[in-house]
Amino acid sequence: MSTTNKPLIFTVLAECKVCKARVSKMILPHKEVDTPVFMPVGTQGTLKGMLPEQLEKLGLQIMLANTYHLGTKPGPDILKKAGGLHKFMNWNGALLTDSGGFQMVSLLKLAEITEEGVKFQSLNQHKSEVMLTPEHSIEIQNAIGADIIMQTTRWLDRCLGAHSKPETQSIFPIVQGTLYEELRIISVNDHTSRDVHGFAIVVEKAKMISGKWYTYVLTFFQKNKPRYLMGVGFAVDLVVCCALGVDMFDCVFPTRTARFGCALTMTGQLNLKKDFNPIDANCTCSTCQNYTRAYLHGIVTVYPVACHLLTEHNLAFQLRLMKNIRDSIHENRFPEFVADFMLNLHPDRNYPTWIKDSLAAVNINLL
Amino acid sequence: MKFIVRNSKNRAPRLGLLKNIEGKTDVEIETPVVLLHTQGGHIPHVTHEVFKLVSKEPQILQIPLVSMHNFQETMQYYNGTISEFIGSKDSLTCLTLQDPSNLTKQGHHVKEKIPIWTKKGKVLYDSEMYMNIVESFKPDMYYLLSDGDTNKSSAPKRISKRKSDVLKKTFVMAPIAGGYCLKSRERCIEAVLANESDVGGFLIDGLHNNGPEVEFLPFVEVKDVVEHVIKKLPPEKLCSVQGCWNPVSVLKLVQLGVDMFDTSYCRILTERSAAMTFPIDSIEETDNFEINLRQPKYVDDFTPIMYSCQCLACSKYSRGYIHHLLTVQELLAPVLIMIHNIHHYLRFFKKIRECIRNNSLSDFENKISEQYKNHQEKVLSAKNQDEPRRFF
Repeated sequence: MSTTNKPLIFTVLAECKVCKARVSKMILPHKEVDTPVFMPVGTQGTLKGMLPEQLEKLGLQIMLANTYHLGTKPGPDILKKAGGLHKFMNWNGALLTDSGGFQMVSLLKLAEITEEGVKFQSLNQHKSEVMLTPEHSIEIQNAIGADIIMQTTRWLDRCLGAHSKPETQSIFPIVQGTLYEELRIISVNDHTSRDVHGFAIVVEKAKMISGKWYTYVLTFFQKNKPRYLMGVGFAVDLVVCCALGVDMFDCVFPTRTARFGCALTMTGQLNLKKDFNPIDANCTCSTCQNYTRAYLHGIVTVYPVACHLLTEHNLAFQLRLMKNIRDSIHENRFPEFVADFMLNLHPDRNYPTWIKDSLAAVNINLL
Repeated sequence: MKFIVRNSKNRAPRLGLLKNIEGKTDVEIETPVVLLHTQGGHIPHVTHEVFKLVSKEPQILQIPLVSMHNFQETMQYYNGTISEFIGSKDSLTCLTLQDPSNLTKQGHHVKEKIPIWTKKGKVLYDSEMYMNIVESFKPDMYYLLSDGDTNKSSAPKRISKRKSDVLKKTFVMAPIAGGYCLKSRERCIEAVLANESDVGGFLIDGLHNNGPEVEFLPFVEVKDVVEHVIKKLPPEKLCSVQGCWNPVSVLKLVQLGVDMFDTSYCRILTERSAAMTFPIDSIEETDNFEINLRQPKYVDDFTPIMYSCQCLACSKYSRGYIHHLLTVQELLAPVLIMIHNIHHYLRFFKKIRECIRNNSLSDFENKISEQYKNHQEKVLSAKNQDEPRRFF
């Protein structure tokens, strides 16, 4: 499925007439990806116990891998020898790698930050130090061979300079500036002047999207390039942010919560012990086809297979939600979809303020 | 369900058939057979959906009650069978008391009650409670209650079977206890045969206390007891053992006339990151009986576990990738190793049946014994330098 010489071709197929939601096709070297898309996180070159065969069957088109983790183990040399991460892990879909910058925050206690790069105390038993520079980060990401690779501003130019595979891997810069509108706009302007194929935004929590700055910032992005909101994955956040015009999301939430024994539904918590229904009667995943809530209740957090079964369902849930969003945008009924979704989640109409405000900013009124 | 012996000329080794299975009349299962050992209703690490990628042939799942005790109440409200409940309706099930892959704690017996050690602690089972579970689980096969404890003869009153309609068509097996005392074993057999004329088979119980140690149990220690018991049992009935026997012991037990085993050995290997590589077909050339994928030498080995193996793990994934998954403690590592080990062990049993058919089981046994001996020597010499890591 390799394209002529552009590693990313992005085509908007349909737009919501009311809000900023849109459906697009993103052609990557390994896979065509339908957006808005949710990308589950396969940190260490594997998606939490799932076989790639199962993921393909679920219709998964793209997943994440982490540069910091894979750079530590198995390391760029092994990945190069293996012919890249796709071959190493037997995954034929698309891959996206982060810069390793997030681990600078999540592993802050182990990191020392300088202009040169980040020095990590490694998590392995030798406690050896690992220096992650922009050049090193891009070397690892080139060895991994992901379809899309990420970079923060400070490192972007050094990375673009060190990038050895511009014909098969696209770099997305990451817009920063926390909650300060002015800083965000400076950061956006900084990036739109560069030759990149898409943009990413980091927010700490989707709730912080409330207020109009966010929609405002999004409008600064070029319309013909994908917009990626990093680290967001709760169903309600996905619905709101699609309305604001986001095309891509990632989060560990559906797979992590599965390992803690939590199955996702459109309506909330479940009482499981004598409940012989599937997790979700409308779900077509193999877990909902074959297992009752009562059985799953008895094995979660005891046996690893329970993680696999819930991960299967939670991934299917997330993929189905994104498909429903895309279909409703295509069929010009996305605002109704959002309103129904929120009413289903809050039957008492007691909607959180940030949801009301965010959606009102893009002309969607709740029921 | 009915058991028939196919080559009745020899008492052992022998081929048999399980057939006329209630609700699954098109299914026939050849013996010697290996039951798929489960915990909580699943092969460890392998979901039923993933297992379909390993084998589509009909299988019997071994359901240790100890791992299903927490469903005791739930199952009283459930209308289906245990195979439906655990999400594997096409499989047959065989209910047993203890988990052969875990060491069973000894002692703690109370009169006519048997302790099982669940994750919530000790639970005492008497035959009433046990038969209630059997009725609500509705397995295709089950064992009568026995403590299986060594050096104890099983009291016949403990094994009284309930004649309920629900279980009329279920295949019942009686445990033969008595430890290593031949006299106790005889007393037990007599009691069982007098009380339970309609059992379909037997379990030679009390040979060990389950768990990983069984792999290293010297066969000479159990040979006399097994031989003696089999001689006293009616030859037309099924004869089973449980536990993580190594492949050489399995072959020797088959030679004595044992018809049924389980895959708990696959779990033992998988938990220590080892994949079976002993050769099954005569054309297969392998250097090792098993390989431990945690070893650093596999870091850049992009070959499969076994070139000659057709399993999903060997056809799509490399030793190097599995090594990586192990070093970063990812869930997929034991999934891939288990897929290979189960596939390999099922092939091993297929080969055993083929060898019995061709009268070549002794040749096969010699070949495997030789390989196993070499492997043991290698392990022993390496052990002083490097203690193998286990993660369970």
